[in-house]
Amino acid sequence: MQYIKRLLDVYIALQALFALSWGFSDTEPGPVAGSQSNGDRFKIEGRAVVPGVKTQDWISTARILVEGEEYVGFLKTDGSFAVNDVPSGSYVVEIVSPSFRFDPVRVDITSKGKMRARLVNYIKTSEVLRQPYPLQIRSGGPHTYFMKRETWGWTDFLMNPMVMMMVLPLLIIVLLPKVVNTNDPEMRKEMEQSMNMLNPNPELPDVSELMTKLFSKGSSKSGGGTKGSRSVALKRR
Amino acid sequence: MAWLVVRLAISLSLLYTASAVFEDQVGKFDWREQFIGKVRFALFDTHSQASKKLLVATDKNVFASLNSRTGDLFWRHVDKTGPEGHIDALLMYGQDAVVVVGNGRLLRSWETTVGGLKWEAVLDTGSFQAAALIGVQDFVKYVAVLKKSAISLHDLSSGSQIWVENLPDSDTVQYQTIYSGGNGLVFVLGFVPSSHIVIVEYKIEDGEIMKKKSVEAAWMSSLENSCAVISSGNLLCVDQTTQSLYTLPLQSAEHTEMRQIHLQTLDLEVASGFQPVLTSTQPNPAQPPLAEFFLQLSPDHHILLQLKDDLIAPLRDFNPSYLAAFATSGEKTVAAVMTPKNDTACSINLFSADTGRRHLDTTIIYHMDPNGGKPNRLYVHAFLKKDDSVGYRVMVQTEDLTLTFLQQPGRVVWMREEALADVVTMEMVDLPLTGTQAELEGEFGKKADGLLPMVLKRLSSQFILLQAWMAHLWKLFYDARKPRSSVKNEVTIDTLSRDEFNLQKMMVMVTASGKLFGIDSKSGTVLWKQYLEDIKPDSIFKLIVQRTTAHFPHPPQCTLLIKDKDTGLGSLYVFNPIFGKKSHISVPALPRPVLQTLLLPVIDQDYAKVLLLIDDQYKVTAFPSTKNVLQQLQDTASSVFFYLVDSSQGKLSGFRLRMDLSTELIWEVVIPTEVQKIVAVKGKRANEHVHSQGRVMGDRSVLYKYLNPNLLAVITESTDIHQERSFVGIFLIDGVTGRIVHEAVQRKARGPVHFVHSENWLVYVYWNSKFRRNEFSVLELFEGAELYNSTVFSSLDRPHPPQVLQQSYIFPAPISTLEATLTEKGITSRHLLVGLPSGSILSLPKMFLDPRRPELISEQSREENLIPYAPEMPIRTEWFINYNQTVSRVRGIYTAPSGLESTCLVVVYGLDIYQTRVFPSKQFDVLKDDYDYVLISSVLFGLFFATMISKRLAEVKLLNRAWR
Repeated sequence: MQYIKRLLDVYIALQALFALSWGFSDTEPGPVAGSQSNGDRFKIEGRAVVPGVKTQDWISTARILVEGEEYVGFLKTDGSFAVNDVPSGSYVVEIVSPSFRFDPVRVDITSKGKMRARLVNYIKTSEVLRQPYPLQIRSGGPHTYFMKRETWGWTDFLMNPMVMMMVLPLLIIVLLPKVVNTNDPEMRKEMEQSMNMLNPNPELPDVSELMTKLFSKGSSKSGGGTKGSRSVALKRR
Repeated sequence: MAWLVVRLAISLSLLYTASAVFEDQVGKFDWREQFIGKVRFALFDTHSQASKKLLVATDKNVFASLNSRTGDLFWRHVDKTGPEGHIDALLMYGQDAVVVVGNGRLLRSWETTVGGLKWEAVLDTGSFQAAALIGVQDFVKYVAVLKKSAISLHDLSSGSQIWVENLPDSDTVQYQTIYSGGNGLVFVLGFVPSSHIVIVEYKIEDGEIMKKKSVEAAWMSSLENSCAVISSGNLLCVDQTTQSLYTLPLQSAEHTEMRQIHLQTLDLEVASGFQPVLTSTQPNPAQPPLAEFFLQLSPDHHILLQLKDDLIAPLRDFNPSYLAAFATSGEKTVAAVMTPKNDTACSINLFSADTGRRHLDTTIIYHMDPNGGKPNRLYVHAFLKKDDSVGYRVMVQTEDLTLTFLQQPGRVVWMREEALADVVTMEMVDLPLTGTQAELEGEFGKKADGLLPMVLKRLSSQFILLQAWMAHLWKLFYDARKPRSSVKNEVTIDTLSRDEFNLQKMMVMVTASGKLFGIDSKSGTVLWKQYLEDIKPDSIFKLIVQRTTAHFPHPPQCTLLIKDKDTGLGSLYVFNPIFGKKSHISVPALPRPVLQTLLLPVIDQDYAKVLLLIDDQYKVTAFPSTKNVLQQLQDTASSVFFYLVDSSQGKLSGFRLRMDLSTELIWEVVIPTEVQKIVAVKGKRANEHVHSQGRVMGDRSVLYKYLNPNLLAVITESTDIHQERSFVGIFLIDGVTGRIVHEAVQRKARGPVHFVHSENWLVYVYWNSKFRRNEFSVLELFEGAELYNSTVFSSLDRPHPPQVLQQSYIFPAPISTLEATLTEKGITSRHLLVGLPSGSILSLPKMFLDPRRPELISEQSREENLIPYAPEMPIRTEWFINYNQTVSRVRGIYTAPSGLESTCLVVVYGLDIYQTRVFPSKQFDVLKDDYDYVLISSVLFGLFFATMISKRLAEVKLLNRAWR
């Protein structure tokens, strides 16, 4: 037993020498997990908190997953956790729970066993935004799994722009004649004037009338069709 | 900038989200069943009388607490797969359960009420042998773990190591058992095969070796099952060759050899070739075990014996008896024995352990499932009744992994089908039509026999339909009067019928243990089960639907090919998937290993599709092989091609069928095994429909898809696993001509590769070892702006290679499986279903995996509804189709089309089974669940009355005007 321990010590020392080449100053992370099988094994520790919820209500369904399901840990009754037997490397540590949301954390372990935690950034993988180690993971609240149903309410209906566009002119049509006294001759004159103002040149022949005349002649010859019916409608107007 | 693009993409994706669950849909069409696997250890919580806990540890590395009244899970902890999560031992004391995990690597103590960890201790490496609770002065304080070369003692309340000691001569002696009788000493028992037994005595306080002795035992071959410690430290062993029992008091110094008792003197004999088993019981770890023990002499013969004053006396002989177990409640220890009653039932009786007398009125009748296996484990929960007599319940585990919990006098309290924890493959089969529907269908199938009889027949069948409808209405009315809870929608095999949208189907599931299940997809009820005996572990299964339910008078037919892993020899099992009955069809014998199976669209006169089986000499066997089929095969032989994969030699070869059912090699592609190895080969699904031939571009031109039904996707991985040099290779090979259509290499990548091959695209996921992230890559194949041959696709006539577009994305999570949705006509947009290790199933729109996603938004790309490129794929919890119903260890996702174009049926299996429906383009062909009937009808009525009133008012006004 003693012999094994000594051997391990020697090994660690060798590893340490090796590790000098890539320390924490090195932003490009080290070897891939799993490629070292006979190296030292380390422990990732931390604590998870769901604010406002007792630990016994959620820990039985939660797990700690390190790099997928490569290493699995469980939560203690006080919310702390430890994942054992993890070789050196860089891992994404995630607490999965069907009810609460936790942000993943990347944990780097050197071959000496030095640990650091940082934010997971998949796009800029070498960016280091330090997180506390041992991990302190707070839940961001419950998961939102469901979409809200579109409910129907009067306010929603009335505030709809289409409805507003329909209703407002209607109100104007109905209410304006009531507000403005049309029997007043002065007012009538004024309105007529304004109508003439709208019509830019009364001498110019009206296009629509021209078309009506033209098509009513044509329709009588060709005998109907869609255009004819339209012209009839126009005539009526 | 990138952030902005991501933001934009997410906001855009919001517009396109389709597959999301609404809260009121929970449990409406989805269900989940949770499983644990084959039980290896089960302990009843006898801490208090009212406790309902049953702790189990299984071969699936699951540690769970079951409610013994209902069989439901209180909680369940799923550890890592493989030997590192393997549960070696389960011990329980009071509220705490101590578990040894990973070949003695971890020692965990669980708080069983909450389901949380109390403490966890890492032990030294070394192969695990045994673990035991150690008591001192009536209190259990420690747990001892015996490894191959060391023993360690841990405090039960904190997990801290008290001491660890090396075992003497551990290189020659095999230490296997620990024993402690609560007197401050721990005995470690080991033996040297065919030589002697070694007994080492440790002091509990400091691990000092008090005594060490070796006793002659030349006959010894194993300690574990053939030896036991009984009544205040007597070692008892049984040996088959010498037909004798041996006893040795552990503590006394003067005994240097074991006392031999011939079994003949007890009128007993061990059955030849059977390794006898001794079972003792130690109700309290702080006290010595009882003097009574079971001796199993043959598979169905147990005997209860007692050691008293150095004499062994039989208390009761149980011949025949299948299983025997001890149980303790309070001060009383009882023995439950299962004896066969008749061919289909067993009876379990309770006997008092110290006298062997039978307790009155304690019989439990256990009915064996005729389609199941034999019982092989018995777990007894004994409790004290109010009148101080002992009552009990039993849990029986059978060979086919059914757990049955029984109560007196034989009532099945609950049942669990744990074989379903290991589903290997599955298929969904349409349900048959009802009698009346079939009647109507049958009318079309028959030849016309005159006008009048046809009219009469139609009238009569319409009348039957009317009758059925009236009956249905009456039932609705009748049920409506009853309170809702009492109306049961029990699904039985007789009431099964297809619903109008074909949403309910039969799930045929094949499990690794060789048990087949038929499950109703709507409710999850097991409708039939069939245990196939003599299936070797690790067999390979392939399930083929040869005839669907569409050919009415003929029953549907499924064929299961079972292939032995080592020899490759296969056998066929043909059955009816609706009723689970074995079909009596002559099955071809398969004397040679089967390499490949091929389901042809050729149909025999009974509408069964023809299955071709290719053996290792490239000979083809057809099933069914009637004359009609052989004739048809000869006609079509020239257009039947198949491929074989030999991953050990890195060889892909294509064959063609000859008229005489022999084969000829057409092409061969060799992928050198020194550099890379083939990991997977997949074609497209045969039942997949592609609705549109091309994609309409922003400028109104059409980009035609390259829809080659013979295309194979071959995935390779490099043999060099160094992170700088490893790669993943993708080959797209035409299965008929062997032409490599496209080749792609993903550098600095490694597996596991998950991929989906469908329509004109291939989506695959790999691990980018440089940036340590998962990446999705999509390949899409297009013919271009013109179709070469728009009527038919032929692999032999393809002068132009397809245009290949590719794009890759970062996926911010690990992946366990990948599958694509499938609908009836292929009109609905596709989604990818991604199984995550957390147990969630993400429904990812294929729209995000489109190689034409532009980096810069243009007018045309907006016209095409292309989402601008963003490197990171979004994961939104709203897209989890199984909300909080997580599925542990997803192994496969099965998708099947339903009768509704919008709806795809999804079954996720792994440790759990989850069934749901997904609507990738929303439910465009049915009214929404929340369709507001009240609003629409009130508006309609309002309008109706408004017109009535205004009409009346108008009339009045007209009349008034006329009068004026």
